[in-house]
Amino acid sequence: MFHQGIQGIPYYLGVRSLGEIATREDRVCVLNVMGGESRQVTPTSHAFSGGNVVFGTSPGRAGQVLRTPAGDIPVFNNVREGLAAGHAFNTGVVYLPPSGVRDGVAELIRVNPGLRKIVIITEKIAVHDAREIRAMAQGNGIDIIGGNCLGVADSWNRVRIGGALGGDHPEESLLKGSVAIFSNSGGFTTTIAQYLGTAGWGTTTLVSSGKDLYIHYACPDFARAFAADDRSKAAVLYAEPGGYYEQGIEWTKPVVACVVGRWKSKLTRAVGHAGAMAGSGDKAEDKERWFMQAFGVEGIFTPENPVVSAKGAVVTNIADIPAALTAVMRLNGMAPDFAPRGDLALKPWVANDQGLRLPGEVGLPVVTAPEPYGGQIAALGRQVGAVVARQNMKDKSGASVMDPKTQVTSVHGHEVLDLALLPLEACFALPLVHEIASENDRVMLDVAVAAEVNLVGDPILVAADAARDAGNAPNAVMATAAAIVGPKRVERVLACTRALIDAFAHSGLRRARDEAFDTSGVVMDAATRALFLATPEEAGDPRPEAMLAAIEARGGRSAFLKYLKGLDGRLSRDAILAATATTIAWGPLMRKRISRLTAETLPWYLRLYGVMVGATIPGAHHQSGSLWGIGREERFGRWTMADLCFLAMTGKKPTPEEALPLQILIGLLISNGPGSISAQGAKGAVSADGPQTPGRVQINKAMVGFLTHTGYSHGGNGFEGMAFLLEQFKGTGLTDPSDPGHGLDLKAMATEFARGYRREKKASKEVGAELRALPGVHHPIFKGKPVNHDPRERFVAEYMAKAGRYNVFHAFYRELVQALYEQGASPYVFCVNVDAVIAALLLALLWPDYQAGRLSERDLETAAFTVFLYGRMIGSAAEIDDHLNRGRNMDTRTPASQCGFVV
Amino acid sequence: MQLNGLLHGARLLSHVDFPTPEVLGPDASEDAIQNLIDRHGLVFIKPVFRGGVGKKGKAGLVGKARTLKEALAEKERLYFCEHRHGNAYAKANGVTFEAGVPAEEEVYFSITDDTRFRAPTMTLTHRGGMDIEELPKSDVATVPFEALTGLKAFVVANALSDIGAPKEIISPLVQHLPKLWELVHHYGMTTLELNPIRMRPGSGGRLTPVACDFKCGFDRDDPRVGRLGLPSQLFASDVSAFEQEVNQLRTHQGQSDVFVINEKGTILAPTFGGGANSLVTEVLGEAAIISSDFGGNPPYEKMKAVASICYRHFLKQTNVLFIIGGKSNNTDILETFRGMGDALREHFAANGPTPLYVVVGRGGPNLVRGMGNLAETLESLGLPYRFFGFDSAISEVVNYAKRVDEWMRKGGREEIAATLGLKAAAA
Repeated sequence: MFHQGIQGIPYYLGVRSLGEIATREDRVCVLNVMGGESRQVTPTSHAFSGGNVVFGTSPGRAGQVLRTPAGDIPVFNNVREGLAAGHAFNTGVVYLPPSGVRDGVAELIRVNPGLRKIVIITEKIAVHDAREIRAMAQGNGIDIIGGNCLGVADSWNRVRIGGALGGDHPEESLLKGSVAIFSNSGGFTTTIAQYLGTAGWGTTTLVSSGKDLYIHYACPDFARAFAADDRSKAAVLYAEPGGYYEQGIEWTKPVVACVVGRWKSKLTRAVGHAGAMAGSGDKAEDKERWFMQAFGVEGIFTPENPVVSAKGAVVTNIADIPAALTAVMRLNGMAPDFAPRGDLALKPWVANDQGLRLPGEVGLPVVTAPEPYGGQIAALGRQVGAVVARQNMKDKSGASVMDPKTQVTSVHGHEVLDLALLPLEACFALPLVHEIASENDRVMLDVAVAAEVNLVGDPILVAADAARDAGNAPNAVMATAAAIVGPKRVERVLACTRALIDAFAHSGLRRARDEAFDTSGVVMDAATRALFLATPEEAGDPRPEAMLAAIEARGGRSAFLKYLKGLDGRLSRDAILAATATTIAWGPLMRKRISRLTAETLPWYLRLYGVMVGATIPGAHHQSGSLWGIGREERFGRWTMADLCFLAMTGKKPTPEEALPLQILIGLLISNGPGSISAQGAKGAVSADGPQTPGRVQINKAMVGFLTHTGYSHGGNGFEGMAFLLEQFKGTGLTDPSDPGHGLDLKAMATEFARGYRREKKASKEVGAELRALPGVHHPIFKGKPVNHDPRERFVAEYMAKAGRYNVFHAFYRELVQALYEQGASPYVFCVNVDAVIAALLLALLWPDYQAGRLSERDLETAAFTVFLYGRMIGSAAEIDDHLNRGRNMDTRTPASQCGFVV
Repeated sequence: MQLNGLLHGARLLSHVDFPTPEVLGPDASEDAIQNLIDRHGLVFIKPVFRGGVGKKGKAGLVGKARTLKEALAEKERLYFCEHRHGNAYAKANGVTFEAGVPAEEEVYFSITDDTRFRAPTMTLTHRGGMDIEELPKSDVATVPFEALTGLKAFVVANALSDIGAPKEIISPLVQHLPKLWELVHHYGMTTLELNPIRMRPGSGGRLTPVACDFKCGFDRDDPRVGRLGLPSQLFASDVSAFEQEVNQLRTHQGQSDVFVINEKGTILAPTFGGGANSLVTEVLGEAAIISSDFGGNPPYEKMKAVASICYRHFLKQTNVLFIIGGKSNNTDILETFRGMGDALREHFAANGPTPLYVVVGRGGPNLVRGMGNLAETLESLGLPYRFFGFDSAISEVVNYAKRVDEWMRKGGREEIAATLGLKAAAA
């Protein structure tokens, strides 16, 4: 049962020519006009088409309007109300959800006798409903386009109806010309039009047919209207497997058909589409054959094998369409509509190689995108550094994470175990630049921090000594010093850093150590230049020259420093520190690995590092030009961070044998993740200042937050293991803990202790007392197996063994866990935990001085605490910077509802 | 979503009172089988396949038995048998025992939506039991009918007249076949095929059509399928765990079929647009892990959820994350890129980094803002990337992604792993 439209067709078809599909005269009613998709698309369509939408429906929203650049579209509850209000239309557009489409079509047909066309945009309409929609339309003489399509457009009429052909800028793709497009893919309808433009072909009518089982406006219908349309000299078809719509069509004008989807027949199981079940002859290969027969060609057109006839060509890659069309049209004596617009060659718009050396075919150079995109991308490029979204950072960290299985913490992707094997100066920058510092950066950092350690003449020294004399633990002494390094103390160095970043951000400088970089284009006004120069009050400070000389002597390179040296004036220490920080931060900043905020605040951390290490050295040892007897030139010129830390703890420079264990110790202690008390202290301090106004956050106070959140239990407990070892090795006459030939019977010592411990255990069980815990033995995670290991302990043990290093205390611990088991004091072989490693390494380091009476037990305890603080200082810097960048004001507080009250 | 065999087919046919032989399932006791043989003389033993498997008889996978011993031997032979047809492979899990139906006549019947007519179409022949394609056209009636009124008795009668069917089968078929339209149309089927229908003589010689095999396809977009209460695992062979998870998010707004192309592939390509999907899947070939169409302007949350599932299943093995589509018409690039980028950030946070090169080829609304947002995310994760606009041929961008994949295989993956601070083993 069908309404007779065009005579001679056994079904209803009303559209005679492509020119009738989307005209300026069509008046449109949009069902569900206020739906998410319609709200975005309809305004553009309406404006592009000269205001063709007379009204829309949205049940319950009568009286509202959809705003568009071409005026408001009124909204009614239903079609009847809109018609009653005097709005006549001949075309319905359906944006309803799938379950509502059939009823929407019925509404349009029954309520509006003037209806001629419906465009259905909705996808995933049930086949059941599609059948009935087809039947309704056929019985009532309505042309339907879709469903699951993007509608129709006409480049001559400048009209689009239904979906979003041409996207949000239809005028860019819908170029007037001589080619009609019919495509199963909505996206490719626009893409093909755009590709045709690159060969100078414009379009007439574009039909996005959809590719549901029921294609209501299908290829045969298009072929008929195309034949009758004088504007269209050729057509491009895009077809996918499934259905017989393209079979047996007599084309009257040239056609390029693109068939894609051969891969579908390679699937090992059926994929839902028409005819998939029968597996019959409507695969991609079949469709290619139908078209090849229709065009009289023997093969597929490719640039290498351009098979065409005057009737047409078949391609399987849409990029080949323009060339195929041009070749076909040449045989018909027809030239393109206009000069080619652009080309389809590979053009990367945006790229970042992350410092990798990519081969040529991968590392394609970036090209400028056409406007307006090029301008928008350039604006993005002016953004220096990464941008990080803010969120609640309570108990969260973007800097550190502890693997709950291995208990190994990573900081910015680097496991502390790996950090333990790196020189300290490589680790000190990590929290702030998210990368391990290069050799060059390490040199710069060594000098910059060394210049901050000697506090002679600075009130910090008096305050730190006063704190120490008052009986405070080393954390409180350090905190006293850090508290004084407030914002005013770094005001100028931060300003210098900002100025350097401003000046060089768009200079093209990629590698900060590239001293050959031409800085003639770097502009700096007089006031800014003055920032970098030493003031008359600083005339007596010998450090700037010493720093420059040391950097020079150690081979440090910095484009910034070189630029500043050309400023024609004496540089201040702040200027050199700023140049150092900018050198270290530059690569990660330019690669957008770190934010500008992080780069700008880096000098503050470097100064804090120096002052905090310096404050652990008693005031008497800070002399003008000399620290604990070590001259400035030597410290600046040759010393590393590890040397300085060792000096602070022992009053002397370490030998290479001594430097390694210290480096490992500090590395291991860098972080235990955001849940540790020290990290919580640092994060709370940032949160309380308000990271959303980062300029007000006192980074030194955040360091104080970390320091006040360490103590005899968290940090100072490192001494417990040492105390335990001291007890075991008392009176053994051990002289060199690193000598495997120490002559002690460790097994016997361990067995004896284990026997005693077992007795103690039994006794305490009888009286119900708590058994004393053994420091360095056992772990709540690494337990329960016949033999247990702390992976961190094994890592260090293996490394030390490989390096040919021996540690008698560590060896004793390994004997001890075995003996505890053998003597029945433990149910299985406990692990030697990482605390034992720390105690063993540190005690071995300090043993000679302790034996010689130069260090007391109290000194050992201070040393254990101090080494913890050095390590955690790095980790805390990472948390502070992370929270500063990511966190929200007061985000570490706990809501009252989650707090408990205890009586 | 396809179903074959009488194990479930008989139950579906009972919804419209269409006769079927007595059927016992895989767990039938020996007594029950013996009893079936006693009453019917002959039983057919057929393997139970999930999905749409045809031509079992031709493959020798239909057993016959007149004794319990024969029946059990056939059960053993067919219980886990394998079936190949083209690229499709199926493995049985169970058998049915179906009572033999004595008959002189066999009929083929199907209803499907035929794209040549754009209408529901009945295919009918009285020369059933064989391949429909092998029959002369004059013996086969292919008749479209009106969807709103349905398959009417006169349509069946006319068709049987046209093909010269024996007169004794006309009345029973005219009586019974129209019911099948109710089953197709009201329970969300796209196809129903009964072959053979055997015309069983009853008392007085009147014939009754009995459906001796069953095949149907369901429309996954039709909620009417739910009316049948079929257990979802019936269709589980159609999908991998990944597909099942990701397709739960399938709605009309964005994201069509997603399926796994090669579980061991190395390019993970969230693709936008059906056309792009076809093109990309074709050009990537074996390197592609999934074939997908995430277009249709998915909202941020959905895009992020879909991306998370993809990453969770496949990111570890992925060399190239390849976000690709043409110049989108209305899919918001910022929303979709933000969704995929945030999902990637969260995946890295939860599972640690993995070496990855990101290639994008895209156009559409908010393009540069979307690219900028994704670039920031990738930069914070330390991943290298190259973004192409819509002025590069999409097929060339696909080839570029393949070149990157090649480079990754030849050491690039290790290089990126090193810049991410990953140990080679972990990479």
